[in-house]
Amino acid sequence: MKGKSQAMTSAVEMRHIRKFFPSSQVLASDDVSLEVAQGEIHAIVGENGAGKTTLMSMLYGLIPPDEGEIYINGALAHIAHPHDAIRLGIGMVHQHFKLVPSFTIAENIMLGIEPNRGGFIDSKAEAEVVRELANNFGLPVNPNLHVRDISVGMQQRVEILKILQRDAKILILDEPTAVLTPQEVSELLSVIRKLAQTGRTILLITHKLLEVKEIADRVTVMRRGQNVGTYKVSGVSVRDTATMMVGRAVTLQVEKTPAKPGEVVLKADNLLVAGAGGIPAVFGAGFELRAGEILGIAGVSGNGQTELVEALVGMRTTDGGTITLHGTDITHATVRTRRNGGLAHIPEDRMIMGLNLKTNLDENVVVTSYQHEPYSERGIFNFRSIRSLAQNIIDTFGVRSARVGEEIKTLSGGNLQKIVLGRELKGDPKVIIANQPTRGLDVGSIEFVHKTLVQERDKGAAILLVSVELDEIFALSDRIAVMFEGKILAVLDAATATEEQVGLLMAGGSLEHAESEKAQE
Amino acid sequence: MNVIRQTLDRVSIPIIAILLGLAASSFFVALAGANPIDAYQRLFCEGFGPKGCATFGDLIFVQAEQEDGSFQTVFSPTYGAGGNRLALVLEQATPLILTALSAAVAFQVGMFSIGMDGQFVLGGIVAAFLGYWIPDQIYLAAGVTDPETASESLRTIMHLVVPLLCIGASMLVGAIYSWIPGILKIRLNVNELISTIIFNAIAVQLVGYLVNFPLRSDMNNIARTRRIDDTAWLIPFNRGIFADIEWFSGARLGIGLIIALLAAGLVWFFLWRTTAGYEQRMTRGSSLFARFGGIPSARAALRAMLISGALSGLAGALYILGVERRVVDGFATSGTGFEGVLVAILSKESIIGILLVAPFFAGLNLGAINFQFGNLPRQLGGIIIAFIILFSSMEDFIRLQLAKLTNRGRARRRDKTPGEAAV
Repeated sequence: MKGKSQAMTSAVEMRHIRKFFPSSQVLASDDVSLEVAQGEIHAIVGENGAGKTTLMSMLYGLIPPDEGEIYINGALAHIAHPHDAIRLGIGMVHQHFKLVPSFTIAENIMLGIEPNRGGFIDSKAEAEVVRELANNFGLPVNPNLHVRDISVGMQQRVEILKILQRDAKILILDEPTAVLTPQEVSELLSVIRKLAQTGRTILLITHKLLEVKEIADRVTVMRRGQNVGTYKVSGVSVRDTATMMVGRAVTLQVEKTPAKPGEVVLKADNLLVAGAGGIPAVFGAGFELRAGEILGIAGVSGNGQTELVEALVGMRTTDGGTITLHGTDITHATVRTRRNGGLAHIPEDRMIMGLNLKTNLDENVVVTSYQHEPYSERGIFNFRSIRSLAQNIIDTFGVRSARVGEEIKTLSGGNLQKIVLGRELKGDPKVIIANQPTRGLDVGSIEFVHKTLVQERDKGAAILLVSVELDEIFALSDRIAVMFEGKILAVLDAATATEEQVGLLMAGGSLEHAESEKAQE
Repeated sequence: MNVIRQTLDRVSIPIIAILLGLAASSFFVALAGANPIDAYQRLFCEGFGPKGCATFGDLIFVQAEQEDGSFQTVFSPTYGAGGNRLALVLEQATPLILTALSAAVAFQVGMFSIGMDGQFVLGGIVAAFLGYWIPDQIYLAAGVTDPETASESLRTIMHLVVPLLCIGASMLVGAIYSWIPGILKIRLNVNELISTIIFNAIAVQLVGYLVNFPLRSDMNNIARTRRIDDTAWLIPFNRGIFADIEWFSGARLGIGLIIALLAAGLVWFFLWRTTAGYEQRMTRGSSLFARFGGIPSARAALRAMLISGALSGLAGALYILGVERRVVDGFATSGTGFEGVLVAILSKESIIGILLVAPFFAGLNLGAINFQFGNLPRQLGGIIIAFIILFSSMEDFIRLQLAKLTNRGRARRRDKTPGEAAV
């Protein structure tokens, strides 16, 4: 399919699109023009806040452009609402899925267009339609399962089927791989390829340049609301693309010296933690974390990592086993006790856990320290020192466009994560638990987060890094623990471990198995 | 510039809601065969206007008759002469301010407690009972048989202590009565909306029983408790320090209003300047964030429920000690607590908003009570309030329509200058 993108008319043509957000004073689209050929896989890359999602939201009718025109299949289109977009054959899969968890797959796909008999929904016909649809596109699903019971990858498949059922010819996928396991990613990529082969046009918003290289025909690079250029993927290197995105050269590798591990600061032993519905999610996991090292926990998402982290930081009850911090048993201690003991937590979800987007910057940066002087005295706030803390975080962590005392909900993901980092790393924590610290971030921000974590390690902090991105695990970790079905299967030395070994362990294989397979090669 | 826009933004929605509420109620006024404009003039004059008020204009300036029979134009809100209802409005607004603050504190921790009614009436009955019981005990201990003969110094001391004791007891009872739904929510996850509704019903029935049986003082047609002792009475301005000022003469407005304003200031300070207020606001904003940060959310929620209950109890105590001086049957079903909830919702829990909306509600109620216009029923006030609340809950819709209007205006202006839009 690659390179075969010539067509009579363009599927999508956006001309001189301009969008200014007065509330945040951001020029999200600055005279952007974009042309996408029919049947093409067109990637749009750029840092967080570069205007990719805004541009696509305008194409899908979610946001009206201030200026500019959109042509669909050569004809001028007025897209004031997603209804218009759907009528024109445009479908969008959002980064955060919009499915009803308590409905079945079939009910979600057919939502609003249910086949009915005498005014009642015909569930059988519904399931049948969905089954046929799924088979036609080679995307098998069980239409009768409830969405709340299926994996993230399957949910995404449902979203794709949903727009295909509405006869979408132009598919917009916003960060589709951000939440997927490596296995699911490769499945998704082959689905995208298949869809393009049927003549559908795919617009792929992403950060992951390797995926772009693997799948896209052309790539458009956006930076600060501008189209920096559209290139044939075969003619541009990953490094050049990254440089264009950020506007400067990027090191994709993390530079770090060998670790100098000190004493054990955090120890978990034989942990038993219940997940949703009371079913054990962590089942006898244990590890030792030393000062001055990064221990990476690799694993396919949903193998107990979230529950493990929440138990370690005190947000979830531990049903069995012990957790010790600096030799003190903290198994049943409160979040605050642990934090006061030098534990910092960079959470998986910065939007609803790491930050409170309903309030301003100041109240967000002070959440872990508000009860201490100088931020408050005898229960009454000292706003001057809180403001200076906020300013300090803005300055040291380069949080662009954040202002003291102002709302943070309009900030980009990268900037939000910088605020979280700034707050958590304030006061030199002894142990940092980082859960998916770079999820959904752009290259520049990832680089920043990685560098910061390594710096903290070199200052003597013990870091537990939980990530489903193998690249990240390998780039940062000194030791790698592999988690599978609630257990730590093995702890490997990062210097000698291979991606194959870890990958096999992540799938539940044993180390011996991994080695024998290696020997066979 | 920004401040002006923000204020305008905040004020525009309630004003539009009020106008829409009046417009929608007009339908019912017209149905009853009256001219809505005339009816509203009457309603607002009866609610907020001075003596002789007949038109909207009279709400601001009125022709006042002088002693010599001549007329003079005066600024209505300051016009005393026993005719201005503003003092009465403030008297009626005092308990509303406190119950609205009570609701706001609970809402600001994410507890949708509407138990203000129950806490209010319990606070009232406790103050009404202690208001004569405590003085009785003191007279008994001091060997005074007739309170009239008690020494001046004893009465002065009692006048300082007894109201405080009554208020303190009412606040305590209100707080406990609010704490129970709180602990039920936290320990057993009992929905606080349902439990507070039930607790309201229990309190209303209990107070009704107490007034009709154990605490009934005489064989008056309408059951009532004994009048509180004079030493428990919070003497209103028109009988005390401002007896000479005409403006106060028509209302039992007193120190209660000052306490309510003070409470408003304290609640604001608590919510926005203390760590405890921060804890409760963060708990409401994002419970996951609060847990993540180690905020003791359960404690914050219980603390909020205690404060909320104490404020409603205070409202009940001030109303009895300062205005009614006894509980009369029907007090329990007055719905003051619930109106406080409405005030809090309409003002979006903003303290300044509560201080503005509570008198507005009180005035509408007063206007409706004294309302006599054609065949219009007194319930018109209730209808208007209901519509205003309905429209203010449509805030997002109104905001959207406003944005559309301004956008269209902008587009039209842009079209008028050709060439600029074309890129």
